[in-house]
Amino acid sequence: MMEVEETNFDELYEVYACMQCGKCTGSCAVSLRSDFNIRELMRIAILGNNEDVKEHEEIWDCTSCGICTVRCPRDLKPSEVIVGLRSILVEEGEVPSTIRDALESIGNNNNPWGRPKSKRADWMKDLDVEVKNLSEGDEAEYLLYIGCTASYDTRIQKVSRAAVHVLTKLGVDFGVLGEEEPCCGSEARMMGESGLFEMLVEDNMNLFKDFGISKIITLSPHAYNTFTTDYKDYKKRLEEEGIEIPNLELDVKHYTQFLAELIEEGRLTSDMMNEFNKTVVYHDPCYLGKRNNIFKPPRKVLSIIPGINLVEFERREDRSLCCEGAGGRMWSEGTGTGERNAVIRVRDANTLNAEIITVACPFCLSTLEDGRSTAGYEESMEVKDIFEILDEVLK
Amino acid sequence: MAVFVFIEHREGKLMDISFEALSAAQKLNDEVIAVLSGENVGDLAEKVVKYADKVIVVDDPKIDTNNEAYTRVLDELIKKEMPKVVIMGHTSMGMDIAPAVAIDLGLPIATDVVKISKDGNIKVTRSIHNGKVLADYYLKDAETYIITIRTGEFSAEELSEKNGKIERVDSPLKEEITNKKFVGFVQPEVGGVDITQADILVSVGRGIKDKENIPLVEELAKIMGGVLSCSRPIVDYGWLPKERQVGTSGKTVKPKLYLALGISGAFQHVAGMKGANMIVAVNKDPKAPIFSVAQYGIVDDVLKVIPALTQKIKEIKG
Ligand SMILES: Cc1cc2nc3c(=O)[nH]c(=O)nc-3n(C[C@H](O)[C@H](O)[C@H](O)COP(=O)(O)OP(=O)(O)OC[C@H]3O[C@@H](n4cnc5c(N)ncnc54)[C@H](O)[C@@H]3O)c2cc1C
Ligand code: SF4
Ligand code: SF4
Repeated sequence: MMEVEETNFDELYEVYACMQCGKCTGSCAVSLRSDFNIRELMRIAILGNNEDVKEHEEIWDCTSCGICTVRCPRDLKPSEVIVGLRSILVEEGEVPSTIRDALESIGNNNNPWGRPKSKRADWMKDLDVEVKNLSEGDEAEYLLYIGCTASYDTRIQKVSRAAVHVLTKLGVDFGVLGEEEPCCGSEARMMGESGLFEMLVEDNMNLFKDFGISKIITLSPHAYNTFTTDYKDYKKRLEEEGIEIPNLELDVKHYTQFLAELIEEGRLTSDMMNEFNKTVVYHDPCYLGKRNNIFKPPRKVLSIIPGINLVEFERREDRSLCCEGAGGRMWSEGTGTGERNAVIRVRDANTLNAEIITVACPFCLSTLEDGRSTAGYEESMEVKDIFEILDEVLK
Repeated sequence: MAVFVFIEHREGKLMDISFEALSAAQKLNDEVIAVLSGENVGDLAEKVVKYADKVIVVDDPKIDTNNEAYTRVLDELIKKEMPKVVIMGHTSMGMDIAPAVAIDLGLPIATDVVKISKDGNIKVTRSIHNGKVLADYYLKDAETYIITIRTGEFSAEELSEKNGKIERVDSPLKEEITNKKFVGFVQPEVGGVDITQADILVSVGRGIKDKENIPLVEELAKIMGGVLSCSRPIVDYGWLPKERQVGTSGKTVKPKLYLALGISGAFQHVAGMKGANMIVAVNKDPKAPIFSVAQYGIVDDVLKVIPALTQKIKEIKG
């Protein structure tokens, strides 16, 4: 008889406490447009039969937005169970080819985009200001961590340059890592490659130590999230395995938090800005909002821009509609059909007469800009990162 | 002297190759006789006779999409009318019927022909060694020659109107064909194409504007011997299947030639096709990022460039 391999998900995620209420499915951003059903997958995890797992290709649909985990009345972590289910598939090699390529590229090139390491600093080529490079002996108070997508994606590179402009204008003592900047590993972990992620945690902690980095400002909420949560968990895990990780107390902030602090300190004020007479709606990224409850700082930054007409989505903050950009979805279309959430989102913005949807995440920028074109609003609506707006308005 | 043209049709529709075969026949400046056989084909005769001096219609339910039946009918008609040439498409149907007729009647056959001319004898041109060499052949003296033509080589646009007569004849088929049976049509899965294996990819983006323009691009792809691929919005709109999507969440391709038509060159797209040996882009926006990865570029309206390219390639191919 065939042996059925089983994984004990209860040891890892306490899945036996699941009462199959379905609140997770009711909240799920993906269930809107695919057969993906997180409650059902919870049951599969409870039964722990690895063969069953393989039959559910929609496991790759999850965007790792995390709202199921926020809402579960039993305090379970369904979004983490997905990571566990995926890791079975990764181990078995049952992975969509695009996800496989992205993971391989992280291992080989330190980025998921299949681009060479030697091109990672290309975004800096068109910079008209000097920026310190902490990997070349420069010293600075903060590392501006750009991240893979903002380093390589030609559209998002503009955000990286805007960030450098803004921080320079504000007199912040910061530097970057250029070609030496590593992948943060957030997406590798979410795609179920925890081995690769462990390696990155070990390498990156050593790299931060070597370059004397302890304060980090991130462009991406994903890097922010992983540095502040997963790195701590994995450090413990690795140390239990006898691997020594430098004892660094990383002080990590998403850039909207950092800017909001500058406002508190009076270092960023309305007086420093030109009028910006536009109707703007802010889209909460899941990794900042739902996963980390950071709702106020980005709004604070936007609200001090003189002349801005800041409007709000009905679905906002912890109810913000996920743009479907994370959890590996940059490299996998998922099984969903019909209108993408990003398109629904830009239609909502259109009913608010928004001229700009502003974001604070590179993935949201990609998905919403694509959705904007699909919905046919190229002429009437722009999608911009908050850094880009600031770069425009700062005198 | 007459030229027979075997008319292909399927599910009540005439196939393009039938018009191409008529075009090839007209070039020989002889009487063009179209042979239209099958079940309930009467209505189609009106469309065919426009370009023929005569259409011989054999309406017989026993023929019913059965190549064996077509062969026997054609055998009898050839024996009766003694045409000088019989032309049909080098299609799966033509490849089935033409050699069978040649064997049945002991006639010479030339297949997959790209050009036919009369130079004393009938001369045909075939493209050999993967298209590197064009070879001319004179056919041996015979009463009748059987020729199959390559699709896309004879233009239906060059057809002149003849508006001849329709002649219905009794079916020469006396009994049902039993050794071969028509079971049914199976539509090929549109996704059955593997764009990663193609040497030439003709790729469309949102700049193509409308689903109705896809056939234009299909024609270009066909004449270039290439395969159609696309950017993600084209899949989102449902104009082409997912399997055709090039990019980071689609397929990574490395063709010898990548022709990007109305594609802006977003990072996710470019990452999937950067490895192509040669990239040629057509875009009306000179600032489109696609031009930074393309070796050759045309700044113009794709809807103007596509037909012009198709035409030019046709001319070059003769
Ligand atoms: C997670 C994620 C994954 C993605 N994965 C992929 C992927 O795998 N593959 C992919 O392709 N995209 C992908 N995208 C989408 C990508 O970001 C772009 O939105 C998309 O590639 C744009 O497609 P396009 O170039 O056809 O359309 P557009 O960017 O709208 O470009 C249309 C172009 O056509 C030109 N044009 C318009 N009219 C004409 C005309 N008459 N003549 C000539 N030119 C004309 C315009 O100047 C423009 O440059 C992904 C996006 C996300 C968010
Ligand atoms: S919300 Fe929590 S308890 Fe309810 S089905 Fe989902 S995982 Fe189980
Ligand atoms: S993390 Fe988001 S997308 Fe994934 S199962 Fe939970 S609610 Fe659904």
